[in-house]
Amino acid sequence: MGLNTKYAIFNTSKINIISFLLLLVFAILPLILGFGFAVSYSFGLIGVLNKGFTLENWSALFENNDVIVSFLYSGWLAIASLTLSVVMAMAIAIFFHKKFSKGIYSYLVYMPLAFPSIVAAFFFAQFLGNAGILSRICYQLGIIDHIQSFPNLINDRFSFGIIIAQLFLSLPFFILLYTGLYQTERIDDYTQLANSLGAKNKQSIFRISIPILLKKSFPNIVMYFIFKIGTYEVPLLLGRSSPETISVLAVRKLQKFNLYDIPQGYAIAVIYTIFIISLLMIVLKINKNEYDI
Amino acid sequence: MSTTFKKRNIFLWLLAVAFLTPIIILFFLSFSKNWRFPAILPEQFTTENWSYLFFSSGNIGQSFIVSLTIALSVACFATLLGFITSKYIAYHKYRKKLLLLTYFPFALSPVIFALCLKFYFIKMSLIGNVQGIILAQLMIAFPYSVIFFTGFWSQRIKQFEDLVATLGGTTAYAFRKIVMPIAKSLIMICFFQCFLISWFEFGLTSVIGYGKVETLTIKVFQFVTEANIFYAALSCCLLILPPVILLWFNKKFIVQTSK
Repeated sequence: MGLNTKYAIFNTSKINIISFLLLLVFAILPLILGFGFAVSYSFGLIGVLNKGFTLENWSALFENNDVIVSFLYSGWLAIASLTLSVVMAMAIAIFFHKKFSKGIYSYLVYMPLAFPSIVAAFFFAQFLGNAGILSRICYQLGIIDHIQSFPNLINDRFSFGIIIAQLFLSLPFFILLYTGLYQTERIDDYTQLANSLGAKNKQSIFRISIPILLKKSFPNIVMYFIFKIGTYEVPLLLGRSSPETISVLAVRKLQKFNLYDIPQGYAIAVIYTIFIISLLMIVLKINKNEYDI
Repeated sequence: MSTTFKKRNIFLWLLAVAFLTPIIILFFLSFSKNWRFPAILPEQFTTENWSYLFFSSGNIGQSFIVSLTIALSVACFATLLGFITSKYIAYHKYRKKLLLLTYFPFALSPVIFALCLKFYFIKMSLIGNVQGIILAQLMIAFPYSVIFFTGFWSQRIKQFEDLVATLGGTTAYAFRKIVMPIAKSLIMICFFQCFLISWFEFGLTSVIGYGKVETLTIKVFQFVTEANIFYAALSCCLLILPPVILLWFNKKFIVQTSK
């Protein structure tokens, strides 16, 4: 028995060491190494053309407003698509939760989840573009008389194409989240109680259903915002060359041929990483149930 | 009342159309040829694009195999390693801090993360090959898997394990007879999710693959930049099919079983 216990302790500590090493190699170390490399490169400590510590790359980065505009633009795209997704999904959960808990809609809602971002971007380019399906339908219906009459819905000023593609990708997630919450939080029971106490339907929706759903989903909304702010494929295919989202800007600076842009690209990566990590720390601090995905 | 009912039905119909149209149109495009404006239907419907996939030297089929190999490897490793590591984190006294560290790589934009790590991958000769992509994707899928499983290791599971130990059972026995049966459906869900993370990945793969490893997402991008929409649609169909099957399987068997 004593030998068994000793063996078990040895085994447990061995597994713990392996687990710690796995965590170190696949999660902690890449982050430290990647961030360290980006910081060093941006301050001129490493890199082919760098000659020692300098703040030049950082000051060059802020000579124009590209980075700030990119951050604001990425934030705006994330907020716009998230707001639409949350509002629509909430309405669906409140009015149609039964339809989505079983039957054909409970299967259909999974369809967009099978779409990689790049496929969704390609589809919306074919659907909303000047020579796309919508434009062809409008032509056949006599709404437009030539290809140029169709408004620019992709690579456009208002980023309509990007927002629609993001909405398509995120709506099912929020529908599943809210229909699930509607049941687990027993919102039906609360609204029935409120109605029996004399509340109107509108009152029970705005004072009970929406506040509960919003409160419970707030960490998910912020997490989704974090993911959406770094999105790359959809703005790459459906966005304009200016303004660019933060990922597209960083990739352009780091992957293109001008070697003098690389330190600035790493400076953008540093700002982005600090921003995301700070936001994540705030969310996880607020969210007490931080272990759920 | 009936008007509201009709309006509601119309909304649901529109939603169903919005969810189904993309798949239908992509399949339709994959069988098309010569699609000039303003025609709604193409001049020609053909199986040529699909036969190119199976019979010609075109490498879409090869990309499918590469993508599948990478996604299955990432899903297997991430699920297995994540399951082991999550137990260590779940019962650790610094659980919250360790979890926070796990969240960071998962939350960052994969393409920016890959660009910051590219130097190390070059040094380790892991750029432009399948092994490099698997390792890079593991750095996203593994944290996801760890976070996913951490919630599983509750006090209840610990009590079950303690009970087995008290009754004379070994750790391995408790793992085989208690932990695994309870965790089975979660492991399958995590496997599917990790598969999808890898299957959908484009930015990180394009950086670490360096254009030499052509996964299906890379192929779609290539065809789009070449304005070859029919082959792009075909690649898109191949990208959508496995997730549709997995999600259907997930919904049909795992969600219903767990209910």
